[in-house]
Amino acid sequence: MIGGLFIYNHKGEVLISRVYRDDIGRNAVDAFRVNVIHARQQVRSPVTNIARTSFFHVKRSNIWLAAVTKQNVNAAMVFEFLYKMCDVMAAYFGKISEENIKNNFVLIYELLDEILDFGYPQNSETGALKTFITQQGIKSQHQTKEEQSQITSQVTGQIGWRREGIKYRRNELFLDVLESVNLLMSPQGQVLSAHVSGRVVMKSYLSGMPECKFGMNDKIVIEKQGKGTADETSKSGKQSIAIDDCTFHQCVRLSKFDSERSISFIPPDGEFELMRYRTTKDIILPFRVIPLVREVGRTKLEVKVVIKSNFKPSLLAQKIEVRIPTPLNTSGVQESQISAEIELLPTNDKKKWARPPISMNFEVPFAPSGLKVRYLKVFEPKLNYSDHDVIKWVRYIGRSGIYETRC
Amino acid sequence: MPYLGSEDVVKELKKALCNPHVQADRLRYRNVIQRVIRHMTQGLDMSGVFMEMVKASATVDIVQKKLVYLYMCTYAPLKPDLALLAINTLCKDCSDPNPMVRGLALRSMCSLRMPGVQEYIQQPILSGLRDKASYVRRVAVLGCAKMHNLHGDSEVDGALVNELYSLLRDQDPIVVVNCLRSLEEILKQEGGVVINKPIAHHLLNRMPKLDQWGQAEVLNFLLRYQPRSEEELFDILNLLDSFLKSSSPGVVMGATKLFLILAKKFPHVQTDVLVQVKGPLLAACSSESRELCFAALCHVRQILHSLPGHFSSHYKKFFCSYSEPHYIKLQKVEVLCELVNDENVQQVLEELRGYCTDVSADFAQAAIFAIGGIARTYTDQCVQILTELLGLRQEHITTVVVQTFRDLVWLCPQCTEAVCQALPGCEENIQDSEGKQALIWLLGVHGERIPNAPYVLEDFVENVKSETFPAVKMELLTALLRLFLSRPAECQDMLGRLLHYCIEEEKDMAVRDRGLFYYRLLLAGIDGVKQILCSPKSDPSLGLLEDQAERPVNSWASDFNTLVPVYGKARWATISKYQGPERRGPELPNAASFATSGPLIPEESKETVQELPDSGALMLVPNCQLTAEYFEKTWFSLKVAHQQVFPWRGAVHPDTLQMALQVVNIQTIAMSRAGAQPWKAYLSAQDDTGCLFLTELLLEPENSEMQISVKQNEPRTETLNSFISVLETVLGTIGDIKS
Repeated sequence: MIGGLFIYNHKGEVLISRVYRDDIGRNAVDAFRVNVIHARQQVRSPVTNIARTSFFHVKRSNIWLAAVTKQNVNAAMVFEFLYKMCDVMAAYFGKISEENIKNNFVLIYELLDEILDFGYPQNSETGALKTFITQQGIKSQHQTKEEQSQITSQVTGQIGWRREGIKYRRNELFLDVLESVNLLMSPQGQVLSAHVSGRVVMKSYLSGMPECKFGMNDKIVIEKQGKGTADETSKSGKQSIAIDDCTFHQCVRLSKFDSERSISFIPPDGEFELMRYRTTKDIILPFRVIPLVREVGRTKLEVKVVIKSNFKPSLLAQKIEVRIPTPLNTSGVQESQISAEIELLPTNDKKKWARPPISMNFEVPFAPSGLKVRYLKVFEPKLNYSDHDVIKWVRYIGRSGIYETRC
Repeated sequence: MPYLGSEDVVKELKKALCNPHVQADRLRYRNVIQRVIRHMTQGLDMSGVFMEMVKASATVDIVQKKLVYLYMCTYAPLKPDLALLAINTLCKDCSDPNPMVRGLALRSMCSLRMPGVQEYIQQPILSGLRDKASYVRRVAVLGCAKMHNLHGDSEVDGALVNELYSLLRDQDPIVVVNCLRSLEEILKQEGGVVINKPIAHHLLNRMPKLDQWGQAEVLNFLLRYQPRSEEELFDILNLLDSFLKSSSPGVVMGATKLFLILAKKFPHVQTDVLVQVKGPLLAACSSESRELCFAALCHVRQILHSLPGHFSSHYKKFFCSYSEPHYIKLQKVEVLCELVNDENVQQVLEELRGYCTDVSADFAQAAIFAIGGIARTYTDQCVQILTELLGLRQEHITTVVVQTFRDLVWLCPQCTEAVCQALPGCEENIQDSEGKQALIWLLGVHGERIPNAPYVLEDFVENVKSETFPAVKMELLTALLRLFLSRPAECQDMLGRLLHYCIEEEKDMAVRDRGLFYYRLLLAGIDGVKQILCSPKSDPSLGLLEDQAERPVNSWASDFNTLVPVYGKARWATISKYQGPERRGPELPNAASFATSGPLIPEESKETVQELPDSGALMLVPNCQLTAEYFEKTWFSLKVAHQQVFPWRGAVHPDTLQMALQVVNIQTIAMSRAGAQPWKAYLSAQDDTGCLFLTELLLEPENSEMQISVKQNEPRTETLNSFISVLETVLGTIGDIKS
């Protein structure tokens, strides 16, 4: 149960404050500002206890969102709720920034009224919420018949995440495979740890109650199917990937996944996260950083960084950034020979024997885990459109998570 | 912050709200109302315009209505008489044809926190419970709880409670979950909502239809259900299996907790579940959502208390990246410290060693303390690393290393020699109070093994006038007096000077009194000083062994997925202590019953074990070094004074046993190699009266028993019994750790 929700800017000024329970007073707003936002030292924990009240906070750019409670709650759930809150806000007005929050403050109060009641989370699906939020324009007292029936059907429906009677002239869906590849490499070029955490995000604009089936190059499925035709196994077996663990959106029928490992579902309308997964084996590391650091005397440091790409030349990587931390008082930095942008960040590093790692940021147009979408089939038995009529788009984006090479 | 000048703002807004031109223009009107809310958010007292805001509620503009209702809910307790004026509009809205308006009005009306509102909201709530739109029913159900809170927890309306119980069968999933929440609050005094078999099974069947918040909530309520039979229990567990793989980490944790609690009598099921959630937990620990990652790491530490090997093969997942936030790094270091074992100790130590030179002094110190923690098991390797760190001559590193050394010498006396060799030279790099105290303590207690100890202390004595910390001066007095006892010639003069300073010039009363105390003690004669200052101390080592023993899963299962693992048990106890019983969370009544049931060792028996070494008359002396020949001769000349068998399974790890015995001052004379059959060990110990205890341990694998034979050179039964109980404690603890 959440007693109150506050949003602050980086200075600690309150932008939004909503209290749900009596036991949270106005002084709680100030307590968080004084003890956390204005605190001198680094944040010690995302959960802070001040006068027996727990403050859970997350930061988005320079905005602080804090949920407050006096109860012994589940920490994971409260954070998930704050993330959801951010997602919902982002779906309405984009980036969470001070300006956007100030401009949309009526909308945010409306949202806070709907997604929490008496401190308990209520409906939080962006799609379903749209019916209740009247932000744009002034609506007359008498809504149209259609809108009214939407509310009733949405709220009585058996499937909480999708309302009935959705119609699109053009049935279209977008699949984004978004991966973040993480690497920790030793100075000797040994991989200390590497993992990919990926998400399959689907944006669906489909009429009716479509039944979807999603297939990918999951090793277990491929091997299962390959039993019949041994030939195919050897061909596709190489390209299949081993998934360490995966979780799905509520709409996916887990029983079917457990028995047949097939992913079938009725999707929510609009954007949602179909699946989240993690792999640790056979990761394609898009770049390899080879640092050569030489300390020449007491005041000179020579850093040579060789970066090798590890994918087809026809693919283009973007947003490449190599960060080579150097001491604050560095002079005479020479940049040369590398066509990518190089950013030299001064760090507050005073001791020359502690050398921070070289980190990289990038974006590549493939999935570093090797995941491939094999198919996404759509069946809608009641309406007359078939799988072929649906326009489908698939996109792969691999981004760097924490990609560090020690030197 | 515009806290000042609110009166002018209120006046201006009041004028604007009353202006008929503004009222006529919808957008301008709404704008003024928005300004009122904005000021309210910033903490200005806006109750002055209450009347005008009530008037503004009579509008067809829903956005305006929402804003006004938000305002009224905030200020109604301050202006109860004026708020009653708004009731009329709200009541009218409650029968609006639009379900959204009905829901909004009912929700706002129930949130008006003022006396006397109950009589007005009772009827709308009752009709709301039967509304055809589920949106209104959701609001009405929670409205019941709000109404009950307004009554001040007085009597419970039986009819209403029955109605809510029947609404548990509602079509709408959120109505169902809200019913549970509402009943829980209304029936708080009677122990909350009752989960009987039909309700439990109904909820289990509805689970897949609920959203993540609902699922987490229901999982929490199911904790109080006790299945009637084993068959039912396993049916329930089967139904819940899929939630261990939910995409929501909160649901995964909730399901894990329910499994652990339901299967409290089936340890293998519990272990199985923890294996199943290993993947999801590891995923959360490496997730980009940092706060969630933090919460997951706290729970990983909790699991490690019971299953130290659980994450050992994944130790690399807990290596820190440079760009991670501070709080995650600190948690990861703690985890690394706890999952260390024979296979990974080398790599973990190497990694931790890298952190010791981190730019952040805070993080570096945490890493050093972690190495100190590992040193309790892998002493030699760690002491070597710590000694190397001293060579860096960095203040913030040296001080923590010396503090670690102090604790280590106290807990693992076998490393004293190595520590004493590392100490010289440290004094140049220590400036803070904690570090100085640690160094001075070490020099005092083990000064006889450190050649330059008197000279280092002399420096401190010379500069005592400029010393700012009284605690350092206190430590200096004690240390110097101790050193004086072992090296009188070198210390006598400066001890005199220090005492003189402390008694004549010191302004801090505690230090002065300590100085006077030692001075008078010295007047009583050296023997007296020796007896008081150097007599055996209480032995911390058994506590250390107890500490390493694994805690059963059931000891923390009821704390899993609460704030306890996040704050730590001790901190949570102080936080929750002051919360009165009326603020009790839903789990508390259950927690008590979980703690008493289940096959765990009762807490009391553990405590008695811990007190043994202090309470008994037995005091074993630390440096009893018998030669093997002398032992052999004595062994054959004596008769067996006591013989018993001790249950034992599997092989013995000689190193662990030897170390454990050493900390309780039992020396190992000889021991078979691991796995030898039969396995034998000879031990010796001596108490402060000179009585010798010679022991033979004999393990014959086929009867899974350890035979203990003890011989004594003076027949005294009470010390013999104390000795045997000490020995049993050690063997028992080692046996626990191993299995």
